[in-house]
Amino acid sequence: MLKMIDVSKVFRTELVETHALTDFSLTVGEGEFVTITGPSGCGKTTFLNIAGLLETLSSGQYLLDGVDVSTLSDYQRAKLRNQKIGFIFQSFNLMPDLNLFDNIDVPLRYRGMKGAERRERIEQALEAVGLAARKKHVPSQLSGGQQQRVAIARALVGEPRFLLADEPTGNLDSNTAQGVMELLNEINDKGTTIIMVTHDEQLAQRSQRNIHILDGRIANPVLTPLKTPGESTAAMA
Amino acid sequence: MPIYYLRLAALSYKRNPVLSTLMVLAVSIGIGAYMVIFTLNYVMGGDPIPHKSEQLYHVQLDISEAGQDRQAPVQLTYLDATALMESAPAQRQTTTSKFGAILEPGNPELRPFSILGRGASADFFPMFDVPFIYGGPWSGDADDNLEQVVVLSRELNEELFGGQDSVGEQIRLHGTNFTVMGVIDDWNPVPKFYDVNNGPFDSGEELYIPWPLLVSMELSRSGNTNCFQAVEGSGLQAFLNSECVWIQYWAELPTAADRATYQSFIESYAAEQNALGRFQNDLSRNRLYDVEEWLIEEEVLPDETRILSALAAMLLAVCLLNTIGLLLSKFLGKAPEIGVRQALGAHKGSLFVQHVIEAGFIGLLGGLLGLAVASFGLEGIKILLGDDVMMTNWIQLNVPVVIVTIALAIVSTVIAGLYPIWRACNINPAIHLKTQ
Amino acid sequence: MDIGPIFRAMTRNKLGVILIALQIAFTMTVIINAIFIINERSRLMARPSGVDEANLFHLVSVGFGEGFNEEIAARDDMEMLRRLPGVANASVVNAVPVSGSGSGTGVRLTDDESSPSNFTAIYRVDEQAIDTMDLDIIAGEGFTIGDVRNRQRNSEAVSDITVLTETLARDLFPDEAVNDVVGNTVWVPGGIPLQVVGIVRQLQAPWQNNTIERSMLVPENVIDGSSMYLVRSEPGQRDRVMAEVEEALVAANGSRIIRDMRSLEETREGTYRIDSAMSTVLWVVIITLVFITSMGIVGLAVFGINRRRKQIGTRRALGATRPQILGYFMVENLLITGVGVTLGAVLTIAFSILLTTNFNMPAMGWHYTPLGMLALLAIGQLAVWGPSRGAARIEPAIATRSV
Repeated sequence: MLKMIDVSKVFRTELVETHALTDFSLTVGEGEFVTITGPSGCGKTTFLNIAGLLETLSSGQYLLDGVDVSTLSDYQRAKLRNQKIGFIFQSFNLMPDLNLFDNIDVPLRYRGMKGAERRERIEQALEAVGLAARKKHVPSQLSGGQQQRVAIARALVGEPRFLLADEPTGNLDSNTAQGVMELLNEINDKGTTIIMVTHDEQLAQRSQRNIHILDGRIANPVLTPLKTPGESTAAMA
Repeated sequence: MPIYYLRLAALSYKRNPVLSTLMVLAVSIGIGAYMVIFTLNYVMGGDPIPHKSEQLYHVQLDISEAGQDRQAPVQLTYLDATALMESAPAQRQTTTSKFGAILEPGNPELRPFSILGRGASADFFPMFDVPFIYGGPWSGDADDNLEQVVVLSRELNEELFGGQDSVGEQIRLHGTNFTVMGVIDDWNPVPKFYDVNNGPFDSGEELYIPWPLLVSMELSRSGNTNCFQAVEGSGLQAFLNSECVWIQYWAELPTAADRATYQSFIESYAAEQNALGRFQNDLSRNRLYDVEEWLIEEEVLPDETRILSALAAMLLAVCLLNTIGLLLSKFLGKAPEIGVRQALGAHKGSLFVQHVIEAGFIGLLGGLLGLAVASFGLEGIKILLGDDVMMTNWIQLNVPVVIVTIALAIVSTVIAGLYPIWRACNINPAIHLKTQ
Repeated sequence: MDIGPIFRAMTRNKLGVILIALQIAFTMTVIINAIFIINERSRLMARPSGVDEANLFHLVSVGFGEGFNEEIAARDDMEMLRRLPGVANASVVNAVPVSGSGSGTGVRLTDDESSPSNFTAIYRVDEQAIDTMDLDIIAGEGFTIGDVRNRQRNSEAVSDITVLTETLARDLFPDEAVNDVVGNTVWVPGGIPLQVVGIVRQLQAPWQNNTIERSMLVPENVIDGSSMYLVRSEPGQRDRVMAEVEEALVAANGSRIIRDMRSLEETREGTYRIDSAMSTVLWVVIITLVFITSMGIVGLAVFGINRRRKQIGTRRALGATRPQILGYFMVENLLITGVGVTLGAVLTIAFSILLTTNFNMPAMGWHYTPLGMLALLAIGQLAVWGPSRGAARIEPAIATRSV
């Protein structure tokens, strides 16, 4: 369970103060598939970074499985991120000089897992995304859709409870995107909580729940998905 | 995990081969050049007889004219050397001087040739731990009785007797027959501490004979002779009685008590001589120097290597500054990867270790290449110096230098990398994940 | 070009500036001092010895066996050598200039041994030596065969006349014209007076120190077991004559050996070996440093340009011309190098003072530092030229591309 209470994030430079999130409160339950929409610069990514413990919050409270993460050290946050959270990104962010096997290996290394178990898990993860035969390939030898599948395998190999996705289909054509979405739905069906930032209004509407952010605040503080055309237009802007 | 990081370091090298190679080159040139100079200093300024350098003392007696602020003479007069040999309280002591002579080989196929020899006392060999292949030194009586005995160098024995055990054989030197007592093994202390003012980096002499023979046979001295007063009268005896210094004098004094006894002996000797009108300078200038003190006093380490040390240190600094810049470029260029690693669970500690290993890897390669640079540089210096002016066979890499080279390369690269590493560990992942 | 914005942009990347500036400062310190040392050494090496170095060679004849008479052997050798075709002249000497080994003595104007003395090299030579060495007599005359005395080993000076170098004459008689020095008497230790019969323009002492120009010649033939011969060949025939002389000497007398036969050029090369080795090592250091520093400038420039690709594209899109982009990076480098050479000037002078105080080197000429600064600025501009050209070729379209 992920719970944010009155979370604010302010970026300060010498001259300006940007309020990326303001009094942001949200609870995501076990096994939910939540989409986040909103215009550019509304705070979607900031929200995802805070949720993923990549960024600290300026004020408020963030409980991840009941643990208040705002007081944790870098080391503890990294451990928590490694164990509970999987990330997938719009531009995949695979390590270009590591082959698929080694890419998926990265989070397991940080977990300090033994070699045999790592190997088994990596094989399984590659199997699950249908790329077992290509484990020796490097990312540049793969299509975009395949790369994103590898990224998903890498995010899931540590069996995280939460999968945070930032525009996972943004760089893909619609057919491939469809495939990736199906994969994410399968994962969600198996119990992994997914929070996905997207521009794609249709995807958002298909999810169990959509959060629309405007100027750092939730614009639709309703727990059920809203499907009014007006909102959709706003989200596309 | 370290092996994993080493693999990442290798992969990272392959990813920016030009930048990485530049770094390795910079480190190797800086370290290599520094090691060349370090080797020269290490050997030239090193302890030529480490196990007993604190027991061997050069004796300095000051016969220079009073009131002149000149360095005291580095050698002894015949009068003083023989007086000390007679009665100075040392376990062992030796007079020693270099000479040149003609050697007529018994073998008629060989033409007579000139050799450089050394007159020494019987104690010379055990004092300086001279290694023998055959036979051994002559006895102390041989010195007193002017016996015509000789110890050959390995090389000369090779030339005259084909390397066979020649003990008991005869050689003809300066028109006189000498009996071979022993053959020494290669023995070339660097610097040649027992005669530093006659070529501290020259090779050892070809043969050794009892020192008193230099005088009795009137052999021609090869080395410095400095006269502090005009010789009164003519002939050998006049020279022997003169204030001309030409003799090296060493004593073996194993304990502090031995040293104190000896020191008080030469002080009272100096006072006696002072009463006779000699030794007009401050009597404290008559003193003992152990091997290292003596090498420093005589400034055996040439100015050239000391100047080059400073220049090489600056060259290394430039190379390391260069490496800091290049590592910074490299690590900051990896920001997106570092961001992803953080997202996947890397904490600052693991990023730190990863990049220390990456810098150390560059340092290791730089060190290995630096060894090549250093041995190349040393060979070059050997060629530049040639082997006719001074002995150069000691100019080579040795185990301590190899170890220091590699360690210095790794440590200095990691130190140079500390700031870039710190920057790499503190990259804000959030900025670098959105677009790549 | 307006420097203001370039300077302000630099202040936002202080570390990069400091790294390059420090490298340039150290590089300049090493290069300028190294060049100074090289120049200093070549100045020392270039001093003429006063003798005809190109055509001279020397050797040592050492007798052995009971029947060998050094005096007779030397006399016969000289007669034979002087008749040999290609030999201009030959002499028996006790030392050779430049060789590093010889005799020295104090020389005084009175026989009072407590009066101050001038240290000088002393060449004990035969009557032909002034011609053999090809010295230039500027006052008085040389020696005649009747002047030459035999000097046994371990004996005092036996001659009563001498020829001085001009420098020694001036040092001894600072108030007299060189011509007037001839006829004066000087004393060497042992209360021995020598009358000055001639002055030569130059003859270096055998050693390289600050009394190198002080030499005196006395007509003496030293009998001490070995004789040194100095031979001057006709111009251009030295190498051939050397071989013939050796053969002739070996054939002439079997109870002696000939050793250390060298041309004076070889002797000079050996004596100054360490100086020339030092110069070569320093050149290698200079070239290496220029290379490393240039690579550092190139590396950081390329990095800086890649980091700012988008910015450069934007500038181009906003109307900057290629020369303006090129100029931007050239001026940026000029500013950074400027900081470096300013710091470098301070370090250079500090290091040269260190050399002067610790290593007995003369002070560095004032012109070294500014010339060094200019050279480093030029090196910086050359190094950054390539990367800057690359920057100028960045297309404006990059500004609108997202990757």
